[in-house]
Amino acid sequence: MRIIKDTNIDFMGQRKLSALLSAFLISAGVISLVMNGGPKLSIDFKGGTLVSVQYSEPMNVTAVRSSLSDVNIEGQSFDFSREEIKHFGSNSAVLIRVPHIENAPHNFAQKIVDHLYESFPGQVPESKTAFILGKGTVSPKIGSELSGKAIMAIISALGLILLYISIRFEFRFALGAIAALGHDVLITLGIFSLLGNEISLSIIAAFLTIVGYSLNDTIVIFDRIRENVKSSKRESYVGVVNRSINDSLSRTIITSMTTFMVVFVLWLFGGEVIHNFALAMIIGVIVGTYSSIFIASPIVVKLHENATK
Amino acid sequence: MKRKLTPRFLIIGLVLTWAIWAIWPTFQYQNLSDNEIESLREEGKLQQIESRMIKQGLDLKGGMYIVLEVNLPILLENLAENKDSKFNRVIASVQNQLIQSPESDFFTLFTSATNESNLKLSRYYYDYGSSNSAILTSLGDEADDAINRVLEILQNRIDQFGVAEPTIQKQGNRRIIVELAGVQDSERARTLLESTALLEFYLVKDITVTNDIMVKIDQAVKGDKSITAITKAASQVKTEEPVKGDDETVSVSELFGDTENSESESDANISEEAQLAERPFSTLLRNLGQSIGVPEKNVYAVKKILEQPEVREKLAAVGGAFLFSHKAEEYPLVDGTVETMYNLFLVEDEAELTGGVVDEAKANLGQQGSSSAGQPIVNLSMNTDGARKWSIVTGSNVGRQVALVLDKKVHMAPNIKEKISGGGTLIEGFADINEAKDIAIVLRAGALPAPVDIIEERVVGPSLGADSIRRGTQSVLIGLALVLVFMVVYYRISGLIANFALIWNIILVLAVLASLQATLTLPGIAGLILTVGMSIDANVIIFERIREELRKGKTPRAAVDGGYDRALTTIIDANVTTVIAALVLMQFGSGPIRGFATVLFWGILISMFTAIFVTRTVFNSFTSRKGLSKLSI
Repeated sequence: MRIIKDTNIDFMGQRKLSALLSAFLISAGVISLVMNGGPKLSIDFKGGTLVSVQYSEPMNVTAVRSSLSDVNIEGQSFDFSREEIKHFGSNSAVLIRVPHIENAPHNFAQKIVDHLYESFPGQVPESKTAFILGKGTVSPKIGSELSGKAIMAIISALGLILLYISIRFEFRFALGAIAALGHDVLITLGIFSLLGNEISLSIIAAFLTIVGYSLNDTIVIFDRIRENVKSSKRESYVGVVNRSINDSLSRTIITSMTTFMVVFVLWLFGGEVIHNFALAMIIGVIVGTYSSIFIASPIVVKLHENATK
Repeated sequence: MKRKLTPRFLIIGLVLTWAIWAIWPTFQYQNLSDNEIESLREEGKLQQIESRMIKQGLDLKGGMYIVLEVNLPILLENLAENKDSKFNRVIASVQNQLIQSPESDFFTLFTSATNESNLKLSRYYYDYGSSNSAILTSLGDEADDAINRVLEILQNRIDQFGVAEPTIQKQGNRRIIVELAGVQDSERARTLLESTALLEFYLVKDITVTNDIMVKIDQAVKGDKSITAITKAASQVKTEEPVKGDDETVSVSELFGDTENSESESDANISEEAQLAERPFSTLLRNLGQSIGVPEKNVYAVKKILEQPEVREKLAAVGGAFLFSHKAEEYPLVDGTVETMYNLFLVEDEAELTGGVVDEAKANLGQQGSSSAGQPIVNLSMNTDGARKWSIVTGSNVGRQVALVLDKKVHMAPNIKEKISGGGTLIEGFADINEAKDIAIVLRAGALPAPVDIIEERVVGPSLGADSIRRGTQSVLIGLALVLVFMVVYYRISGLIANFALIWNIILVLAVLASLQATLTLPGIAGLILTVGMSIDANVIIFERIREELRKGKTPRAAVDGGYDRALTTIIDANVTTVIAALVLMQFGSGPIRGFATVLFWGILISMFTAIFVTRTVFNSFTSRKGLSKLSI
């Protein structure tokens, strides 16, 4: 069976259009990021408290919100009604996120759980163990360390990749690959910001997966370009790049399709915990495939044209 | 030319055997019921299985994850002798700086703070050296030692608590990570870990001294604006409290006969607000006859007042300290309602005896006929040294109240009736028998050298964990099945070979994870998915190349050889870049990210092995057959 027969699509001819599309997607994301004051970081990075609980019947978020307007913990009164409160998975589960409070009462997260449990008697499971879906408290200390480490790791990984591609290919290929990576992550970040989804540690793992996937995809095409450049001296550079993309198109489509199948099923059936994670991967697979053809390769062509002028 | 395939098959066979051996315990464990696990644990065989299997992370299984950090300021405070206000100021300033910039190192801050304020450390730490730098070095060693002791003690506590698959490890120099997968009662586990288990016996101060100091505190904080705001806030939280003037729970100062303000306090019509302004401290308290009560809603305000520097000075002057009771109790009011109150005790600031003397601690129910009949209690017995001291303390203080204090909370404060010489005593005041059991555990395991702070806590409820693993596994399996079917439809027999390689790949990665005793988490699954993608991709690259070669009219054998040769550089280049990324993340990344990188790193190495070596061998065994004219691809 063959899906893609010998194709001869002029991919490089579309590069103005694709540049426009990418610019549009990125700027939409960036505008949203700027308006929201940067990505919405989870408590993993900012510190704070997150509580999710399971009521025995559907709950009204507004009711939960008003019950949280006056939480009295050992004589200290708190108003959480303006914090993030939303359904979690089903409409009988509720999630509350509270930013870090200096000198918070002892065992703060549990006190919120207790308050939520006692505020709605009759609508809660019998045991508190079944009531708690999850809770977490992270001190900003851990968060800031984590952010520092993550940034450090990403910068050094990118540097080394740049170096490897420069040695194995040429420097302009390395630039093309890195630009494609930046493109993919920016777009995914932007879409997450537009959807109001938060960036947690597992989303960072998804981003890294996107980076790995997109890189793999880009290198396969680059490899073809390198091979074809050697074998056909007379053809124009744009022509070689186009042919290389066409040559590897069937592989690109099949690999993207299979990976897409896995992450799509994960997104559809994977459950609440895995949902956003799978969403990031879905976006990543699509954008990663697109960027190898329409971002990485045109940059290589452009840099080549500049060099030979 | 007949290629020698036997050694290749031998290698493949060996690797497969190893993989199955490595993954067997994990498989075995998955198929055990809870009862079987319990009986294996009793036989001591579970340890063997657990040490060789892949653990499931908390995000998949439920349970709790806690990061504890030794509280260095308090450790240094505990180690110091002859502390004075200058020393306290330095420690307080370092603590403040730590709040401002949480990522800075305590010892760096402490060193610069001592230099700035010209603090001579030898005054407080004469046992640790003579120069400041020598003392700082040995204090650093002391801190390192403390974390190791904390680790040991926590290990001991968790062992006695009895929880499946505990993981407890040191992270860096100051932190301990505890993971209790599948733990049901996270609250109990938390208390058990967090408790310093510092048991102290304090003499309670005379009631006249108590009365006196309260008057002084009232005067000290009177008119202080920040205090007024807090006490006002507390008095406004009055939902269940009656506002009657002739309430039986009168203000403490009233009962103890506050001489200085006697006219104002006899005035029953005086408003609560005026009382608060006049006597901000004692108005927050209630007289419970034998002791002082603090209504739950006032606890925060009372603690705030006690933290004031001027109040601390007043307390230090009489050599006393206020301690709260361990739990709040309900006291009936005269109008039939009840109020939940803690007790407050003024004790001597030096403990008569500390928990180091505890020999054995056992949880029990109080005996019939005793005052604690049917109540959960902890029986203590002391070593000879402790018993001797205890008999001296009790002997010379007959009639006085002694407070049994655990982690700065008073569990009970009985009157000493007679000299106790056997060294045995008991602690009351537990909510239930489980709490008494846990206290007995922490007392047996010993006190921590310094308090620990929980700086990160994550609890995944068992239901969410179970749900996420069920749905996660299901969907990964569905996705995998779809890919397998697609490959067979698209590439026929070659697709089968690729599928074989893919399953192989997954088994091998799991086998490596099992032998590394790794924990599989959500990011780990992400790594696995990427690995599957890479493995499929490697095969797709090869197959598409072989098809190209076939279209050029090559024989199956030549096409396979050509396809593999040309695909090889592509696969290596694509994978090496990813391996680089994985290696860097393994070095710098923390927890979950490292888990992801580990899976990815091994996954790619293995997928290169399966795609290049294993499938090639299978293909070669096909193509080396004579008369093969068509390749099913």
